[in-house]
Amino acid sequence: MIALVGVKNLLHPRQDDAEPLDPSARALFHPNPKFRHETGGDLVSFLKQTALFGDLKPGELHRLARIVHERSYRDGESISEEGKPGAALFVLRSGAVEITRRAYGGKQVLLATLEPPASFDELAAVGEVARWNSARARGPVSLVALGRSDLDALGGHYPATANKILKQLARITAARLQMLVESQYFGGQDQESERER
Amino acid sequence: MSARNEGLLAGLLFKSLVGTAALLLAAFLLWALRSLIVPVLVSGLLAYICRPMVSELERFRIPRGLAIGLLLLVVALAALFVVDRLRTLVPSQTGAVELKIRALYAINERYRGLMDLDPTLTKGNRLYQLVRADSDPLLDRVNQLLALTPEERSLFYASRSGGAATSNSPDRLLDQDRANLQTIDLRTRAARIAPGAESLPPRPAGLYEGSPAGGPVSYLAQLLSNWIIAPLVFLFLLSDTGQLKRGLLSMVPNRLFEPALIVLADLDHALGDWLRGLFLESCLLGITVALLLTVVGIPLRWAIGIGLFAAATNAVPYLGSAVALLGGLAYALLAQQIHPLIPMVSIDNLAIWVIAAVVLAEVIKSAVYEPVVLGGAVKLHPLVVVIGVTGGAILFGFVGVLLAVPAISMFKVFVASTARQLNAYGLI
Repeated sequence: MIALVGVKNLLHPRQDDAEPLDPSARALFHPNPKFRHETGGDLVSFLKQTALFGDLKPGELHRLARIVHERSYRDGESISEEGKPGAALFVLRSGAVEITRRAYGGKQVLLATLEPPASFDELAAVGEVARWNSARARGPVSLVALGRSDLDALGGHYPATANKILKQLARITAARLQMLVESQYFGGQDQESERER
Repeated sequence: MSARNEGLLAGLLFKSLVGTAALLLAAFLLWALRSLIVPVLVSGLLAYICRPMVSELERFRIPRGLAIGLLLLVVALAALFVVDRLRTLVPSQTGAVELKIRALYAINERYRGLMDLDPTLTKGNRLYQLVRADSDPLLDRVNQLLALTPEERSLFYASRSGGAATSNSPDRLLDQDRANLQTIDLRTRAARIAPGAESLPPRPAGLYEGSPAGGPVSYLAQLLSNWIIAPLVFLFLLSDTGQLKRGLLSMVPNRLFEPALIVLADLDHALGDWLRGLFLESCLLGITVALLLTVVGIPLRWAIGIGLFAAATNAVPYLGSAVALLGGLAYALLAQQIHPLIPMVSIDNLAIWVIAAVVLAEVIKSAVYEPVVLGGAVKLHPLVVVIGVTGGAILFGFVGVLLAVPAISMFKVFVASTARQLNAYGLI
């Protein structure tokens, strides 16, 4: 249960403790202040605004836009399920996505409500892993999916581009791990004291 | 029954009807357009092979269109070079006639020696008594096939009398031709004497006599109209930068999106592994055949040629070795002198050594190359391969034979991967 609380602290966006977070971590779970909602707009300019693909050059972004998949989900539709294997990472383009995890009693616990341009299920793009959480659409949702096989193919032909994405992915994972440790062992006290100072 | 349940039932019924209609329509279209399946598959396979080369060129900032143009140019130049080289190997008209005379003489002499035939060609050893019912008609067919037409005979005599003989032993060739005529005459008589035997049927006057109804022109036109689509499909697939895959996946329901991604990746891996493995295996088989044939005494130039043909036809199961065997035996039949690296080999037993060399090459291929090179690719039971290849030949002719193994392999991977993913995602 403690672990679940930690994860909840980690993922659930709270405006009040937003400031002490690492900037890159903030970018992961909070709406990017510079992000412009452009439903049906240019895919390349959307990808440029995401944390995961923000480092890519225009040519690389165009190449990426040719291999990603645009998906639409209805309200309440399941995007990914806990325990099932993952084959793609998702970036939220419009709408909201609820990240949940089943508690010991079987009850679904809401961990986070993601807004654009947040990404989730990133580890599925790196290796064959069973998902540890579920994702469900809240309202009509538009997503951009990048398959593990697509990323592998990109790495085969354009290793530099794939390397940038993987570096960014590692950075995101490290930031999440850091936040998990902080929430587990320090309960956010450090952040509080830092804020008081 | 509540109104909600009735609505659900009606919806299910409607979906089932639409699904069945779609399936029937797809089956009908597949059957109606079956003549286009092979051209589309062949061009798709070629585009799949060429895609990595185009992507490699794109890495050097060459636009995709230009990269495709460059690739086609290189292929065209290579084809021109190969055709030019092959033209030098093709004998002249007189050379071909001389080759026919020598081949026919050698076949008849070896048959006579093997069966220990008497001068009338009607009595022979025990082996002859045992197999004459099958072997005599076969030899008659070969004689009929290799016998010179009146035009070829006049050409041959003109080349002898005009002093433009291409052979170093013109007298010997004339003797061989006379012997061939005599043998044909004797065989015809023997066929007439034999009880219930049919006489030799007359030789067809033209090349296309006996071709399908409508003649060669309409057959060629039909073939061209089917295959005209192939270059268009090839170019379209080669210039595709992922739209096709994305379009295909966009039609897949959300809950099947990730399983479909994995199935497509599995198919891609399987096809890539099979093609890479086949290419390596073909190269190794070609080199092995060339080396072994050189060892038994076939000149290096001809051994390399036979090895190349064996490698090129290895895509069809067992055809590579069959081509090597036929090529080697043809050389053994026509050879006048050899320089073997093994002392036991002579002109008389060269055919046996050729058979041994090709069998050894096939054994090395099956025992060493296939496990090492094709180890990661899809494995099929030999019986499945034979039935598949036969089925492919019945349905689509030679191209069906060529595509049978990859098609069965891909189907196997598709079924296995789909079942695995649907199970993993809890959909079945």
